[in-house]
Amino acid sequence: MPAAAPSLPAARLIAPEVLMAIRNLELRARAVVEGFWSGIHRSPYHGFSVEFTEYRQYTPGDDPRYVDWRVYARSDRYCIKKFEDETNLRCHVIADQSKSMNYGSAGHTKAEYAATLAATLAYFLHRQGDAVGLMTFEEQVRDFLPARHRASHLRQLMHTLERPSAGKGTDLIAPLDRITTLVRKRGLLVLISDFLAPLDRLERSLLGLTACGHEVTVFQIQDPAEINLGFDQPAMFQDAESDRTLYIDPRAARDEYMRQFEEHAASLRTVCQKLGASHHRLSTDQPLELALFDFLQSRMRRGRQTRTMARAANPAAS
Amino acid sequence: MSFLAPLFLFGALAIAGPIIFHLVRRTTRERTVFSSLMFLRPSPPRLNKRSRFENILLLLLRCLALALVAFAFARPFVQEAVIAEGDPGLANRIVVLVDVSASMRRDGLWAAARERATATLREARAGDRVALVAFGRQMNVLMDFDEWVALPVGDRAGQAAGRLSAIEPGWESTQLATALMRAAEMLDDTGEEQVPGRRRIVLISDQQEGARMEALPSFEWPRGVELVLDPVRSRGVTNASLQLLTDAADVERPGEPVVRIRVTNDVTSTQELFRVGWMRPGPTGFAGQPLEIYVPPGQSRVVPVPVPAETDGISRISLTGDDEDFDNHLFVIPPETKRLSVLYLGADTAQDSTKPRFFLQRALPDTPRLAVDVVASPPAQPLPPEAARAASLLFVTDPLPATRVAELRALAVAGSTIVVVAGSPESAPTLAGLLGLDSLAMDEVRPARYAMLAEIDFRHPLFSPFADPRYSDFTKIHFWRHRRVDAGAIPDARVVAGFDSGDPAVLDVPVGRGRIVLFTSSWAPVDSQLVVSSKFVPLLYSLLELSGGAGLPPLQHFVGDPLPVTGSEGDYVVRRPDGTTDGIAAGTVNYANTLQPGVYQIQSGASTLRYAVNLDPAETRLTPLMSDDFERLGAPLMQTAIEAARVEERQVVLRGMETEARQKLWRWFIIATLLVLLVESALAGWTARRTTSPEGITP
Repeated sequence: MPAAAPSLPAARLIAPEVLMAIRNLELRARAVVEGFWSGIHRSPYHGFSVEFTEYRQYTPGDDPRYVDWRVYARSDRYCIKKFEDETNLRCHVIADQSKSMNYGSAGHTKAEYAATLAATLAYFLHRQGDAVGLMTFEEQVRDFLPARHRASHLRQLMHTLERPSAGKGTDLIAPLDRITTLVRKRGLLVLISDFLAPLDRLERSLLGLTACGHEVTVFQIQDPAEINLGFDQPAMFQDAESDRTLYIDPRAARDEYMRQFEEHAASLRTVCQKLGASHHRLSTDQPLELALFDFLQSRMRRGRQTRTMARAANPAAS
Repeated sequence: MSFLAPLFLFGALAIAGPIIFHLVRRTTRERTVFSSLMFLRPSPPRLNKRSRFENILLLLLRCLALALVAFAFARPFVQEAVIAEGDPGLANRIVVLVDVSASMRRDGLWAAARERATATLREARAGDRVALVAFGRQMNVLMDFDEWVALPVGDRAGQAAGRLSAIEPGWESTQLATALMRAAEMLDDTGEEQVPGRRRIVLISDQQEGARMEALPSFEWPRGVELVLDPVRSRGVTNASLQLLTDAADVERPGEPVVRIRVTNDVTSTQELFRVGWMRPGPTGFAGQPLEIYVPPGQSRVVPVPVPAETDGISRISLTGDDEDFDNHLFVIPPETKRLSVLYLGADTAQDSTKPRFFLQRALPDTPRLAVDVVASPPAQPLPPEAARAASLLFVTDPLPATRVAELRALAVAGSTIVVVAGSPESAPTLAGLLGLDSLAMDEVRPARYAMLAEIDFRHPLFSPFADPRYSDFTKIHFWRHRRVDAGAIPDARVVAGFDSGDPAVLDVPVGRGRIVLFTSSWAPVDSQLVVSSKFVPLLYSLLELSGGAGLPPLQHFVGDPLPVTGSEGDYVVRRPDGTTDGIAAGTVNYANTLQPGVYQIQSGASTLRYAVNLDPAETRLTPLMSDDFERLGAPLMQTAIEAARVEERQVVLRGMETEARQKLWRWFIIATLLVLLVESALAGWTARRTTSPEGITP
C-alpha cells in the first residue's frame, strides 16, 4: 500500500460514458487501473499487503522469528509481532445485481457502473497480489467466488460480473449474513449497492461483519436522476423491483423525494461511521478513478488509524 | 317535453366527469420505470393549466352519451292535451242543506251554521245554480234552483241568506239520510236542463250521531254528485238528556206509579250530578223534591221517577245541572186504562174449571193500559143490552135459542166478532143460524190417541203473532175431541187451522161487517190441552185485536209524529203546548202539525184527547260523525282542497305514466346513446392509433 497521498489529475480521468462504451469488462477495469497508476506519482509496486495487527507477550514455543527485536531493545521484553494474515489481503467484492440496479439515466445503468467498479477494484487488488473474491446478490446470494489470487480466477470473476442479472428485489441482509458464514478469515469486504431498501437490519448485519474482523467498505451507487428526481412531466412511475405504479408529478414531488433520499443516504452514512466502515457515495456520472482513489485513500487512512490504535492499546510496544 | 322521473336528469351532471378527465393531464399511458418508489408519494391529479381541451369531439360525444342516458332514465314524454273533467269554469249546481233539527238549538251552533251557509251562498258564481234547503225531520226548500236563477245575480246570496235568517232550528229529529237523498234527487232531476259542471251538496250540520243515516248505504248516488261536509261543532259543554222508557207495564205496580226514564250524560260532559223531577206548570220549579242522579260522562242510568199524587197540570219531567236545555224536558201523560167488554154466552159458571169460561176470565186479567170485562150471559136469557152494545167480541160456547142467534147475527153483521166454540155437535144449529145457513152437519170426532194442529195459516191475524218459527210449534197441544165440520159447506169460510186428520180446527167466516170465528174444539180440559199451552193467552189477545178492541195507541209521540184523532165525528180543536189553537176538519184521522214538544189537547165536543209529544231520543245522541263515517256509508265525499290537489297531482302522474308507456321515447334515447358510444369508440380508437408511444424515461 503506498504511503504517500497521491493526487489525481482531473484531465486524465475517463468519463464514465466513454468508459462504458468499452464492452469488455476486464478491459474497462484495466483502462481505469492503468490510467490510475500512470496518474499517481508514487509507484504502488513497493507495497505489500501483510497487515500488522498487534503485539503480544512471547511464550515458549512461539516462533523466535516473529520476535520484534526492536521492541526488545527498547523495553527489554520479548514481544511477538502479530500479523492479520500470513498471506496477502483477502478481499471480497459484494455486488448488488437487483432490478433497481438496472436503472440508469446517463446512458448506462447502475449495474454496469457497479460491475465496472467491482472489476476495477478486483483488477487493482489482483495486480497488487491480493486475493479477490466476488459475491453477487439480489434477493439472495447469486454467485460466490472465494478470494484467490490467480489469473484464471480474475477472468472468472470478470465473467461472473458480466452475466446479466435476473433477480428482482434487493435484500441486503441475507447476502451479508451469508458471507459471514462463507468467509471465515478476516479480510476486506467491498459492498457495492444502491441501498434502495430499508436499512433497519443493515446495521446489525454490518455489525456482524465487523465483529468478525472484516474491514468493510461501502460504495453507494446512485444515478443522477435518482439524486434530483430528474423528470419534468408527470407520469405513471413504475417500481423496477415491485412493478408497483404511482402517478407522480415530479415537480410537486421533488422536494419531498430529495429530502427523503438524502435522509436515507445520511442514515447509511451514519450506520457506516458507527461501525467503522468506509462509506462512498458514487454517482454513475462520476469517473471510476475517483472511486478507486477514494478507496485507496480510505484504506491508507484506515491503516494509519489501525496503527495508532494499536500503539494506543499497547504503548509498551511502540 | 315532460319527464316521469325528472330526478334522473341530475345524472346529466355526470358529464362533469369527462370534462374533468379531459382537463386532467394524467398521462396514464406513459409509464416511467424508476429504480424505487420508496421515497415517492402519489401526486393528486393535476388540472391542465392550459385552458383548452384536447380531443374536443371525443369530449362532446362522451358528454352527449351521458346526457342521453340521463334523459332516457328520466322517462321523457310529450304532454298530450287533456280534457279536464268538471272544469271549475263551468256552472255548478249546489244544494245547500242546512240542519234545523233540535240539536242545532245548542249554544252557538245556529249562528255558525247560518254564517257558513251565507258564506257558501256568497261563494257561488254567477253561472252557478243554488238551492237552499233547511231540513230536520221534514225538508223545507227555502230557495230552489229556478228561484235562484230568476233573481238578479247580486241579490241571490242576500235573499237566500235572508230567508235562512227568518227561520230557526225547530224541535224535529234529524233525518239526514232522507235529506241527502232528496238533495241528490234535486241535483239529478233529469226533467230539467242538464247544466254542465259539478253537482254538489253542501251539508251544514252538527253531524250528530243520531241523525238517522240508516237508509244511506242502500241509496244509489247519482253519478257526479259530490257531498261537501261543512260541520259546525259545539264547544265541549256538559249535556245530559232524558228519555222516556215505554216498557213500563211491569214496573207500574198498582199503588206505586212510577215513570222510568233514562238519563244519558254526554261523553264531553264535565258534570255528573243532575237533578231530575216533575215540574210545576209554568216556567220553573220542581214539584216536590227532585232526584239527584250521578251519571258519569259517556254513561246512562235508568231512573224510576215516582208519579206525584197530585198530577193536576203536571206533565213534565225536567233535568237540571247541564248546560244545554233543549233535551232536558220530557212530557209524560200517565196512560189511561182502556176498558173492553167481552160477552160470554154460555151456561157454565166462572168457578167450573172443566168449562171454558173459567179459563177465559183468568186469561184476560186487568193491565194498567187494558181492562177486559168478561160479561157472562146464560144462553136462555136475553142479551144484556149495555154489554151487547159495548162488546165487540162475543164468545158462544153453548147452543143458543133461535132468538139469541138472530140477535147475534145482527151484531155480527154490524161489525162484532163472534167466536163460536163448538163444545158439542149440538152447537151445529146455532152455528148454522149465525152463518145464515139452513143446516150444518157437525160430527163428534174422538181420535185414537189425539189430534193436533197441523195446518195453520200464519198469515191470518189470529195466528200471525205465532208466525215466527220460535213460536210456531203447536204440535205439543193435544186435542182429545173435536167436531168435524165441512168447511166447503160454509160459504166464504177460511180454514185458519186444521187438524192433522185434515178436519178444520179454526174457521173464519166474514159476516157483514163482522165475522164469525169457529173453534171446532174447545179449550176445556176434556177437549184439549189448549189452556195449558203458552199459546192460549196470546190467542185470546189476537181475538181481541181481531175484534178491533185491543189496539192500543203508542205510549209516547215524538215531534213530527201524527197524533191519532178518534172518538168523535165533529170538528176538532187542537190546543198546542205554546197555547195556540188549531182547527181540524171532521173526518181527519191524524193531526200532523206537532212541531214542538209538549202536551197537545185535541178537543171535540166534550171529549178531550191529551198527547205528550217529546223530542226524538235519537236527537239527543250528539257525538259528531266524522267524514270517515260518511265514507263508510257510501256518501260521495268531495275531497278537501289539499286532498283534491293531491288527487289531481296523482292523476297527472298517472296520465304521465300512461303517456310515457305509450310513447316509450326512452328507447330512442337509448338507441341514440348506443350510436354515440359507437362513434365515440371508433373515434377514440382512431385517435389512440394516431397517438405516438408514451413519453417517459425508461432504463
